[in-house]
Amino acid sequence: MVKVTCPICGGKLDIPEDSLPGELFEHEDCGAHLELVINEGRFELKLAEEIAEDWGQ
Amino acid sequence: MRIGLAYDLIRWEEKALAYTIKDLGHTLELIHVPESVFYLTEPTIRGLDVTFERCVSFYRALASSLTLEAQGVFVVNTFDVIRNCGDKMLTTAVLAKKGVPVPRTMIAFDKVRALEAAKTIGYPVVVKPIYGSWGRMIAKADDESSLLDILDFRENMPSPHFQIHYIQEFIRKPGRDIRAYYLWGEVPVAIYRVSRNWKTNTALGARAEPANLDESTKELVIKAGEAMGSGVLGVDLMEDEDGRIVVSEVNAVVEFKNTVRVTGYDLPRKIVSSTVEALKA
Ligand SMILES: Nc1ncnc2c1ncn2[C@@H]1O[C@H](COP(=O)(O)OP(=O)(O)OP(=O)(O)O)[C@@H](O)[C@H]1O
Ligand SMILES: [Mg+2]
Ligand SMILES: [Zn+2]
Repeated sequence: MVKVTCPICGGKLDIPEDSLPGELFEHEDCGAHLELVINEGRFELKLAEEIAEDWGQ
Repeated sequence: MRIGLAYDLIRWEEKALAYTIKDLGHTLELIHVPESVFYLTEPTIRGLDVTFERCVSFYRALASSLTLEAQGVFVVNTFDVIRNCGDKMLTTAVLAKKGVPVPRTMIAFDKVRALEAAKTIGYPVVVKPIYGSWGRMIAKADDESSLLDILDFRENMPSPHFQIHYIQEFIRKPGRDIRAYYLWGEVPVAIYRVSRNWKTNTALGARAEPANLDESTKELVIKAGEAMGSGVLGVDLMEDEDGRIVVSEVNAVVEFKNTVRVTGYDLPRKIVSSTVEALKA
């Protein structure tokens, strides 16, 4: 697990090492929906995109 | 093989495909589309045998499949298939032209003409956005007054595609619809989506159950899959009161989490292996 800071509340999340960029996580403490960004090997979280009209299967 | 996975978000499906590609001994190349630059006017050597297009966003799927194809990569599904499946107007037109049974559907651009279309079809009618998924913004009008309300909502939406009214015959389903998977000419697995809601999307709470399709239904799925241009597709079917089966739509970036959960069938493995086979053929 990698400890990553929540950009919304500043708390910490445990992210599995084998996670991929674009993977979604919910921060249980504050309820934020977050997306993983990997910057030169460093894990960061950003606020996930809102569902857009053109999303689907 | 070197297999690409073009994606924006990682759903259960993208994760399953990524693991399966590696599991089957292939080299996986992840293409996180929102963080990529695609060269539209010059060739790029990507060294990929095939790429699965898995963007949740229809426009990102279109853009990335188009540019990957321009770079000489074999993309599954192809740009043409993704476009024709992602836009319900195109899907219905293509299926109807190829003789695949579909609900009677009309397009209109204003209230007067939309009401006229609904009158011809007969109430209830279903009104759908031409793209989108999970049953969002899909409405049933039981009579003229509820259709007018729906049209009012649509005409006040900022997006231009809401100004196209896609109006369809309502199929009286037996409390379920069918999601069948079409993979390169085969129909390996299917489910029923059972719900008390007339919209039987699992995203809206419908229950998935394994379905054993008879041969004629499978043939219909194959006909629909071929009509759209083949590949890896989710074909949605509706049964009506007289036992007629129509194709409601075809999905080109298909989800399958619930299908795997209730059938135990390893669909991600079948998707990867049948695509590799199709590539060799
Ligand atoms: N003409 C119709 N008559 C009756 N029910 C319909 C009709 N069209 C759609 N439905 C119901 O509404 C649901 C949603 O419709 P449809 O599949 O066209 O939408 P979608 O948003 O593209 O869904 P998906 O997530 O499967 O792509 C269907 O699963 C079906 O149960
Ligand atoms: Mg759909
Ligand atoms: Zn938080």
